Amino acid sequence: MSPRDQAIRLVRGAVAALERSRSRIDDLNVYPVPDGDTGTNLALTARAVLEDLEGSTADDSATVAREATRAALMGARGNSGVILSQIVRGIGESLAAEESIDGPAVARVLRAGSDAAYRAVRKPVEGTMLTAIRALAEAAEAEQSRPVGELLELLVAKGEEAVARTQEQLDVLREAGVVDAGAAGLVELLRGIASVVAGQPLPDEPPVERASVEAAHQELSRFRYCTTFVIEGDLDPDALEAEYEQLGDSLLVVGDEHALKIHVHTDDPGAALAIGTHVGAIENVEIADMHRQTQARERRLLAAVPDPPPAAAGVVAVVAGTGNRRLFESLGATQIVEGGQTMNPSAAELLAAVEATKAPEALLLPNNPNIVLVSEQAVSLAAKPARVVPTTSIQAGLAALVAFNPEQSAEENEAAMVEAAARVATGAVTTASRDVQLNGRAVGVGQYVGLLEDEPVAGGAEFEPVARAIIDRLLAEPREVVTLLTGEEEPDLSRLLAELEQSNPELEIEVHEGGQPHYPLLVSAE
Amino acid sequence: MDLTAANTAIVVDSTADFPQAPERYPNWRIVPLYVRFGQESFRDYVELGPADFYTRLRSSAVVPTTSQPTPGDFHAAYQELGEYERVYSLHIAGTLSGTVESARAAAADFGDRIRVVDTETASAAVAMLGLAIQRRLERGTTDEEVEELVGRHRRESQLIFTLDTLDYLARGGRIGRAAAWAGGLMRVKPILTIRDGEVIPIKRVRGNQRAFQEFIAAFESGSSDGPGLRVAIADADAPDRTEALRELVGRTRPQADLELVATLGPVIGTHAGPGTVGLFWFADE
Repeated sequence: MSPRDQAIRLVRGAVAALERSRSRIDDLNVYPVPDGDTGTNLALTARAVLEDLEGSTADDSATVAREATRAALMGARGNSGVILSQIVRGIGESLAAEESIDGPAVARVLRAGSDAAYRAVRKPVEGTMLTAIRALAEAAEAEQSRPVGELLELLVAKGEEAVARTQEQLDVLREAGVVDAGAAGLVELLRGIASVVAGQPLPDEPPVERASVEAAHQELSRFRYCTTFVIEGDLDPDALEAEYEQLGDSLLVVGDEHALKIHVHTDDPGAALAIGTHVGAIENVEIADMHRQTQARERRLLAAVPDPPPAAAGVVAVVAGTGNRRLFESLGATQIVEGGQTMNPSAAELLAAVEATKAPEALLLPNNPNIVLVSEQAVSLAAKPARVVPTTSIQAGLAALVAFNPEQSAEENEAAMVEAAARVATGAVTTASRDVQLNGRAVGVGQYVGLLEDEPVAGGAEFEPVARAIIDRLLAEPREVVTLLTGEEEPDLSRLLAELEQSNPELEIEVHEGGQPHYPLLVSAE
Repeated sequence: MDLTAANTAIVVDSTADFPQAPERYPNWRIVPLYVRFGQESFRDYVELGPADFYTRLRSSAVVPTTSQPTPGDFHAAYQELGEYERVYSLHIAGTLSGTVESARAAAADFGDRIRVVDTETASAAVAMLGLAIQRRLERGTTDEEVEELVGRHRRESQLIFTLDTLDYLARGGRIGRAAAWAGGLMRVKPILTIRDGEVIPIKRVRGNQRAFQEFIAAFESGSSDGPGLRVAIADADAPDRTEALRELVGRTRPQADLELVATLGPVIGTHAGPGTVGLFWFADE
């Protein structure tokens, strides 16, 4: 066998092993940039070498090594690919000097690969591919008296140990609970080569349909369940394909008239199976919840992002309604005290919340005129520096919280938050607790009253006209964003929203379920 | 050595969002990054332009990903510039992309001729550094002067940008310290900057007009009027926002030179998302 053919056999083994584990390695990728493409990049880099060799006419080992080195450099994808190309360069250059490949030669070329990789990286970081290649070189040096086949097998095991250790060497890996993707890829590559040398079957080359199944999983599907199974019977593949197309996407129907493998992303896996049982027998059913997979992956990716610096200030907010509570929390409020119009928290409760904030300073949002004074009192008793941003409504509180920046002190935040709260105009729809006169018209108990900054300006038995009057008044001035928070009784806003969108095409309209009592609707405009 | 536009070339990567550079300056080259939709890979700007990219982004079920150029891509560009005695290769922050590492790996084969620069910033800010070097090349300059400029650009060039959502930045792993603001239920516009190659949160607001007021406030306090004040604006599929910002900039600093109005290309667009707008400025001669 010519040196070129030998090289092709080895690289094929490497490519097959990398492609097999590509998506697993993609998912490990959290360092240096957690963008989930290490497996893909390593596989593409190795494939570039393979394609180059397959098209080459070189027949001596020095030329083959030089061409492989160049192909790796030219085809290197991503950070991991660039490092791999440097390893290949070191190995290629050193291979040219070897007359035959024995244990000591393997040790020498791995050491050359390791040295080349360390030289190429500006600031070498341990717990990465670099650590793995160095561990391989060291292990090969220690065990160089073994026959090559046995040595490679041993190196795969040593490599796996090195991969496992990366988690202790790099903080971001430990936090994300993964091992280093590049290091894992390097060991897969070696596994592929070792199995070729050992004369064992190649690691399963992914069959075509399998590869596309994996590719399909990298997409974010609109559908929830990845459903795969086999149907056996007397089948019409085209008809079945047409039927499954109605159910979802990422469809693959592979096989023949007697047995078909079905893969579909759908919200209704039951229906997918029912189609199968209708025409034959089904087996090997696998249903995976992709939303959960995606969420798990996103959590891992986010966990890899270094923690933001500890907050300089925390926010305590007085809030009524579970939806509103979620809104405040999502904007960064750290402590929520339940309260509002008819349930005013005590100074002691507020003080406890201020003291409970983890940050060294605190801001307090009373969100109700009746709670401002008691908030001032709580703050004056607090051991840590704290400020009240005297918001008198949930809407103003949210506007203030948007301006909150956890990296800044309470004092710096106070100014920005007061300003933001002042910029927002507010309105509300409530029900009259007693008979009132409004613009010469009587509004009875239980009827709707529209408030503009706490002043009653509209009233009536129907919700919609009152809400409409309030919103119109708020939009009398130029506004960019209108926010609607629905109360416990969840009024129907559909007609109102449709009208609003039509008459104000430029306006951003945001609706949330606030869940507050007494106020079917809270409105803000800014 | 005296550096001129005849003996010195400038290489930028496609994330500088300055695709018209080689037409304007014969000594410039652009090396594209890659953007991938599933199994399809495109060279940034070359095989997929911004307009087609944003159309695709809106309709595609697949989330695009990006990839740095190969060292081979840079190798080819450097080789093609063989007639130039010096090449300045200017790149997006190494903390945001491995592009500068690919450039360094390729440059190693050319000795001292290629100077690879991690600009520690992104997009039009990189193009603006190139333009500042070009001005010096056109009147004759030295490596010392260029290096001094590169250092000053790192310290003094400013950029402020706003996104419609932090999702794209989070998904691509580039969110940095703005992670504290991710996952909000309300639609707020984060106002961000890049400092030392890291995305830094400045403020959150609601609505574009508010965002622009913040831009202008930062611009006003961080610059003084004059023809040496170089400005660039870039947007991702939001030309009306660029127009609004252009007017505000003209009113705030009437003498400033708006040297670049750019569309964020596919690679930057993948990480920032549609609707992004950025304002860049640098006080040069």
